[in-house]
This record gives sequence, C-alpha cells and structure tokens, in this order.
Amino acid sequence: MLTYIVFILTIAAIYALLAQSLVPIWGQTGMVNLGLVGFFAVGAYASALLTRDFGWPVYLGPIVGLVAGGILGLIVTLSTLRLRDDYLAIVTLGFAEVVRIVASNEIWLTGGTDGIAGIPGVFERGTGLTFHVQFMVLTTLLCLVIGLLITRLVKSPWGRVLRAIRDDQIVASVAGKKVVRFKAQSFMLGASIAGLAGALYGSYISYIAPDLFLPLITIYVFLAATAGGNTRALGATVGAYLLVAWLEISRFIGEVVPVLSAVQIASLREIIVGLALVIVLRFAPGGLFKEKRQKAPVT
Amino acid sequence: MSFDILPQALVNGLMAGTVLAVPAIGFTAIFAIRGYPNFMIGAMATIGAYAGWMANSSAGFSLWAAVAVAFVAAALIGLVTEKVAVRPLEASGALTMAIASLAMSIVLENAIRFFFSNNLRGFDTPLERDVVMMGIRFGPQQLRNLLIALGIMVAIWAILKFTRFGRAMRASADNPDLARLKGVEPVRIADITIAMAMGLCGLGGALLAIDSSVDPMVGTRLLLSIFAAAVLGGLGSIPGAVVGALSIGIIEEMTVAYLAPAYRLAISFIVIILVLTFRPQGILGAKVR
Amino acid sequence: MRSFLDRNSINRRSLIKGIGAAATLTLAAPAILRAQEAPLRLGTLTPLTGAGGPYGPTMVDAVRKVVDNINGSGILKREIILVSEDSQTNPEAAVRAARKLIDVDQVSAIIGTWASAVTTAVAPMCWESKTMLFTVSGADSITQLPHDGYIIRTQPNTTLQGLKFGAFAIELGGKRVFFLTPQTPFADSQFVTITSSVEEAGGVTERLIYDDKKPSLRSEVDQALRFNPDVIILGGYTPDTTILMRDLYRSGFEGHLIGFGYSINQDLLNGLPADVVEGAYTLSPSPAEGSKAYDELAELVGVAAPDTYTCQVYDHINMILTTVAKAGGVSGTEIRDTIRSISQGGGTVVENATAGIEAVQAGEKVDYSGASGPCDFNDIGDIVDANFRYEQVVDGKITLLKIA
Repeated sequence: MLTYIVFILTIAAIYALLAQSLVPIWGQTGMVNLGLVGFFAVGAYASALLTRDFGWPVYLGPIVGLVAGGILGLIVTLSTLRLRDDYLAIVTLGFAEVVRIVASNEIWLTGGTDGIAGIPGVFERGTGLTFHVQFMVLTTLLCLVIGLLITRLVKSPWGRVLRAIRDDQIVASVAGKKVVRFKAQSFMLGASIAGLAGALYGSYISYIAPDLFLPLITIYVFLAATAGGNTRALGATVGAYLLVAWLEISRFIGEVVPVLSAVQIASLREIIVGLALVIVLRFAPGGLFKEKRQKAPVT
Repeated sequence: MSFDILPQALVNGLMAGTVLAVPAIGFTAIFAIRGYPNFMIGAMATIGAYAGWMANSSAGFSLWAAVAVAFVAAALIGLVTEKVAVRPLEASGALTMAIASLAMSIVLENAIRFFFSNNLRGFDTPLERDVVMMGIRFGPQQLRNLLIALGIMVAIWAILKFTRFGRAMRASADNPDLARLKGVEPVRIADITIAMAMGLCGLGGALLAIDSSVDPMVGTRLLLSIFAAAVLGGLGSIPGAVVGALSIGIIEEMTVAYLAPAYRLAISFIVIILVLTFRPQGILGAKVR
Repeated sequence: MRSFLDRNSINRRSLIKGIGAAATLTLAAPAILRAQEAPLRLGTLTPLTGAGGPYGPTMVDAVRKVVDNINGSGILKREIILVSEDSQTNPEAAVRAARKLIDVDQVSAIIGTWASAVTTAVAPMCWESKTMLFTVSGADSITQLPHDGYIIRTQPNTTLQGLKFGAFAIELGGKRVFFLTPQTPFADSQFVTITSSVEEAGGVTERLIYDDKKPSLRSEVDQALRFNPDVIILGGYTPDTTILMRDLYRSGFEGHLIGFGYSINQDLLNGLPADVVEGAYTLSPSPAEGSKAYDELAELVGVAAPDTYTCQVYDHINMILTTVAKAGGVSGTEIRDTIRSISQGGGTVVENATAGIEAVQAGEKVDYSGASGPCDFNDIGDIVDANFRYEQVVDGKITLLKIA
C-alpha cells in the first residue's frame, strides 16, 4: 500500500512539472502548447539513450532532458514565429504527433515501437520501498524548486513583459519589446521543464515507448493546469496533484457499482475525469488559484 | 519516382479528403461565428456514426435517411452539450471554452463506449466495387461524399452571404453588442450555428462510417487531420475548409505513393507549417480577423 | 485528498467489498462455507479503452466467467478475488494500474496485458514484487527481459508465426506474396521469416508499412497491387483490417488473403458485408486436434469463434487455478515455481480449471492443454510449440480447415 502511495506521489510530481511547464508558455505568454507530450518524449528519449547506450552518468540524465526539451522548444518557436495563436495550438499538436511517429518508425535511433527498456535509474533499483521514496523526494524537490523559480520569474520584470505580450502583442511590440525573443525564452523555459519531466519519468519507470506519448497526456495536463490555475506555479502544481489523485480515486468508484462491466467502469472513469474538469471550470473559471493582478510599480 | 501512378494518387487523395471536408466545415464555422476552436467535433462525428448505424441496422432506414438521422442526432446532442458545458464559460474566454470542449469530447466518446462497448459495427449495406473511368478507379460512395461536401459548402456559403439570417450570423460574430442593438438575437444565432456545425460533424461521421466501420473512436481518430484541414484552408473560411480537406487528402496520398506511408501525418504537418509560414492566414483565410 | 488514501478509507473500502462479498456469499453459501484458506487475489490488466479496446472486454469476460464458476462450485477451497483494471493501451496508465493491483489489491498474478509496450513497462514492477505476469503480447524482446521466471507468454513468437504464414501462402499456390502491416514491434521480424519461407519455395515477397489510423487505405492497396501479388498477408488489427479489406474488395483483388486470427475475427465479420470477407484465410495458435477447450470456451463466452487473445487469457486463468490447487499456496513465487509442473511434462490431460483442480486434488500428475495451444513453456516463458488452426471465412462463418 505504501509503495503505491509513494509511487503515485512521484508520478504526481512529474505531472506537476508538466503542468508547471505550461505556466510560462501558456499562462504567462498566452501560447497554447498542445504539443506538450512531444517535449516530454524528447527529454525522455534523449536521457534514456545517452544514459543507457552511451554510458553517460545517470545524474546527467535529467539535465540532458532539460537541454533536449529546450532545444526542441527553440526549434518549434522558430518554425511557428509567424503563426497566430489559434493556429499555434493545432500546429503544436501536430508536432507532438510528428515526434511520436518518428520515434515509432526510426527503429535504428529509438528502438521503434519496441521502446527503450532497461533505462538506468538515478537511484539504484531493487531496494524496494527505498527506491520509490528516493525518487519521490527527488521529483518533489525539483517540483518545488522549479515552482519557486517560476513564481519568481512571474513576478519579475521579465514576467511582466510576457503578460504584456499575452494581453496585447501589438502594444507590447510597439512599446519596444522584442516579442519574438521573449516568446522564444518563455517557450524554451517551459519546454525544458517538460523535457526534464520526461527524463525523470524514463529513469523512474525504466522503460519508454512511443505509445506512452499520446495526446491524451497533454489533454490531462491541460485539464490539470486549467483547473488549478495556469498563471501560477502553485495553481498548476495543485491542479496536477488533484488530477492524479482523481485518476486514481476514480478506480475505486467502480467497486462501489458492481453491476457494471469492466469496460463500462473504464468509460465511467474517463467520463468522471472530463466532467470534474468542466465543473471546476464552471465554478472557478480562472482555476482554483487565479491570477493575482500585479499593481504597477511605483515610479 | 514513377509518374504514371500520379493521377490515381491524386484521385485517391481527393476521395480521402472528402471525408474530412464536412466535419472541417463544422469546425471552421464554429470558429468563425463563435470564436473558439471546438474540440468536440471528433466525438460528434462518432455520435453521428452510431446514430446513423442504429437507424440503418435496427430500424431499417435507407442510407440517405440514416445520414439525415445522424445529422439531427448530432445537432441535438451537440447543442445540448455545448449549452450546458461550454457556453456558460463564454465570459472566461475562447481558450477556456476550447478546454471545456476538449473535456466534453472525452466524456462523449466514453459515453458511447459505455453503452456500445468497443465492438466494431457495420452499416447494413453492400459494398460497391470501384468505378473505372479513364483508367482511374473511383469509389462510388466517395464520389457521393465529394458531391455532398461540395453541396454543403455552397449551401452554407450562400446562406452566410446572401440571406438575412446569414448576415445576422456574420454580424453577431463581428460585433455582438451592435448586432443585438439591431435586433439580432445572439443566443439564437449561437444555438443555430452550433446545432448546424455539430450536425455537420455527425453527418460527416455517418458518411465516414458507411465506408469503413463504427467504433467509439471512429471520429476521434480523424481529429488531427480535420484540424489540419481547417487550418491549412484558413480557419474561419468555409470554402477554405473544403479546399484544406482536399489538400490534406492529396498531401497524405502523395506521401503514401512517393514517400513512406507511415509518415503521412508527419508530412502533412510539415507542409502546413511551410504554407502557414509563407501565408499565415492559410489558403483562403481572411487576412485580418 | 490525502485523507482518502488513509487507513479509514481502506477499511471503508473493505467494508464495501465485504458487503458485496456477503451478497455473493448468501448465493453460494454452502460452497463457500467450506472455504477456510486465504483467498487467491488476481488482477486483469487488459485494454478496455484505447487502440486495443476491441479486445479487452471479451478477455475480461472470459476470465471472470471462469472465476465465477470456480467460486460457485467452491472446489478450489479458497475464494478467488478478481480485480479488473484498464491498461488504456497506454504504458503510463498501465503502470499506475499495475502498481495499484500489486500494492493495494495484492494480487499474485496479473493477467492479459496486450500491447507490447504495456507489457514491457509493467514487467519490471512484476518481477521486482514477485508477481506473475501472464501476457498475450507478441514482441520478442519481452521474454528476453531479466524477469526471473515471472513472465509467462502464450502468444507464439514472431519467428514461428512468420514461418507458418509463409508456408501457408506457398501452399495456396502463391509465388508473389505481399505483406501489409502497420508499424509494430514485429513488423520487421515477421517479414523476415515470411520471406525466408517463401523464398525457399522459389517465391518473392514485398512489404508496405501503413499508418493504421487512416480512414482509407486505397493508395496503400494500390501499391500492393502494383507488385502483382497472388497472396496478400495482413498484419494489422481489427479496425485497420476492416478498412483494408474494404479497399481490397473495391480494387477487385482476386488473389488469396491471409490474416491473423486476432484481426479476422467475429468482430470483423460483424462489421463488414459478407462478400468483402468471404474467402479470407486466417491462422491462429491452436491446441492439437481433438481438443475440446476451444469449443468449451466458445460456449462459455457466447462467441462463435473467440479470437486468440480470449483463448489465451482463458488458458492463463485455468492454469493459475490449477497451479494454486497443486501448490497449496497463493503467492506469485509459488505460482512461478509450480506452473510448469501442471502445464507440461505428460500426465492426465486437462483442458479447464475444474478438471485440472479435481485431478490435482485426486493426486494425479496433470498436463494442461488449452484453447490457445498445448501451453508448454520454456525457461524464459515462451511457448515451446504451437499448432495452428487454419480457418477460412465460408458463407459468412469462420470455418476450420485444418489443424497443423
């Protein structure tokens, strides 16, 4: 029982990192990154390949994930510079699928649909509960640190520029801000956090495969960030923990209604996840942790 | 690189694209008039497919009648869902509505699965062999789908441009307050837009299912391609949706014929990025919204 | 949120389970009164949603019916508690579900993982916790993992399947064999073995890997036909095979079609017009001739021709129950150590759980032979051999041609 709880807390922390990655990109800059899972994948693959096949030390894995995510984030921003926000959402969705398709078909690089097994763990495996607790502490700490970092950045002048861009891009650029550079920075920050989450996930579970990186994960994380509040790291984090808790609690609902078949219980769980979100949106539209309006600085 | 397969590949692409066209029209109409991307279109296509299938196989409706049933069922279910779950969030902005529609799409797909499980169903109709014209093979049902898509496109475009109602819809989209002052009821407009768009998705789903099969994911499998079609053609443009759909169909079949079939989605998206880089509004999109 | 997961809630849950169990108990009172030993906890982890959705529900149904039968008759002398989770055909969800099955439900075995990625993701936590994993996944790499005997796989590996398919294509008179498949862990290995079979008889092969999410596969079919094949082998699953068969029919292809039993199954037949599927051949792993297990299973689940995945999980549960009866204990390790003594090595042939348990309790040496094959396993958990059932769709029904 304890292992399960520690395990779920670790997964929740990883989801929280994914949700936090949306704060600079989406919450602060208004860019809808529906390709989230693609950055998750790139971080996971880069870290897994380098630590398993090229003998890089395991503690470099998460850093590799961070860097890989950031690089892909830069590529995506540069390719979508001229796109309006509405188009960006759909194009980033496509990006994630491209990553998955390449991962599935370029067998020489990624092992194809077979995936990559035996990924070295940042901590030694086979120590039972200890391994899980070590990972939980690591991921939760990272989640905390990065959450604090994002919170500081949000409050900083850099954050103000992002929000200016989000609220009115044209005004921001007329005011002399190099919109493209800020967008790129914001996107890269978010993308690298997602890449870090991917590296951690691969290292924890020891196996990744293209089928893991489905749009459903992006959808779940978006739901979490929206429910929790996508402009604040605190909101995103709480949203993610709530999401994972809800995903797990919904299992037990099935046991209360024994007349349903297994597939009906499975569908019911998914329905409950969707409905819960809509209800949160209805009664707390900015999320549970809404944006704090910053006062203009006294000059 | 043989060019004698080109004509057939082009025709295949056109035929494949027709399946995307009708749901893409629905998607882009909601975007144009309601102002947000509605992610329920895949699930609505599935609902239309199931409604049409039930009408056809249990109640013995003909294919045309079944497709009509699909339209009506999807229009009703889509409208109710949107009014209850999405529209109340209008004040929170387009993105929030989009997310809510995403959540409802999960709910709807699984509601179907709850009642029908995952078994494959088929319409009660014999399969027609291809018609061969000038050495190129055409599927009769797909030809019909193409005509239907074109017909719908013309009909909607005409309604929007020439009827008072259509003008009211466009007015409401551009400036709801002013439109209301002029006596245009925005709620009514929104209702009819949504009902029509969802109905179209359902119709498209039924047409697709007639030619393949019915399972809970029949519509959601196409989601990405429908988005791609609407975006390529220019979000908000009805003719753009059709042009985009046919273009996506052709791009994908070209990928299959000349590159690697497994990469067809990837190539589509790369093409879209290229097109949008040089023409940010899409093929037929309006320059300023 | 944390409070839900604390002790009180667990007791509350057990109470709810207890009420449910009490209800069942009153229906089966005489049988269960005799049960005094610790219950056997098992879990199924099949795809109920996602790409594998067409297969999961029937698999769970088969396992559940066997469990209900044995619980009802009480011959195992212990209660079987079965928990079913959804793998969502997604390793991320599957891993959480498996963790719950292992740590919360404390199952001794997990049955029915389908997608190879799901199985590979879940395997390490199974062998680390000494939980048995019974899988139907096909990727060769699965049994190569360091699983310490905790994986049993009833799906024949791709080498065997490829050889059988290639040989059958030749038998049908094929000289030009085309393989149409989506990207799977066995797309390569199967093609290699099909080719070696076909080339040995002087034929040629070619392959196309398609995207299985397309609503139309016309161009792919066109490309296949340009090769002028006389036999086409289909490697996908039901949803995409449905589309392929339609497009093949429309194109007027006159040659032979061979598909895997899990794609040309009853579900496919229900979804397609009769003349589209008519004449298609299918191969499935099978027990030797004279086995009654397949027919018993068909009757149990109410499906005229249950596909191989359903057959395999039926064998999984039967073997587990027989093993537990023999081992006298319920742990995953005991199942691992005892299973081969009931699944192979000669003795009274048993084909279902009831027969197996009764024979074991009577002190006999048993050899389980199931609906999916003789169920004899080597050291790394692969089946040693399988016959295949060669079937053809005749007059809209899946008809047996031969077993070989």
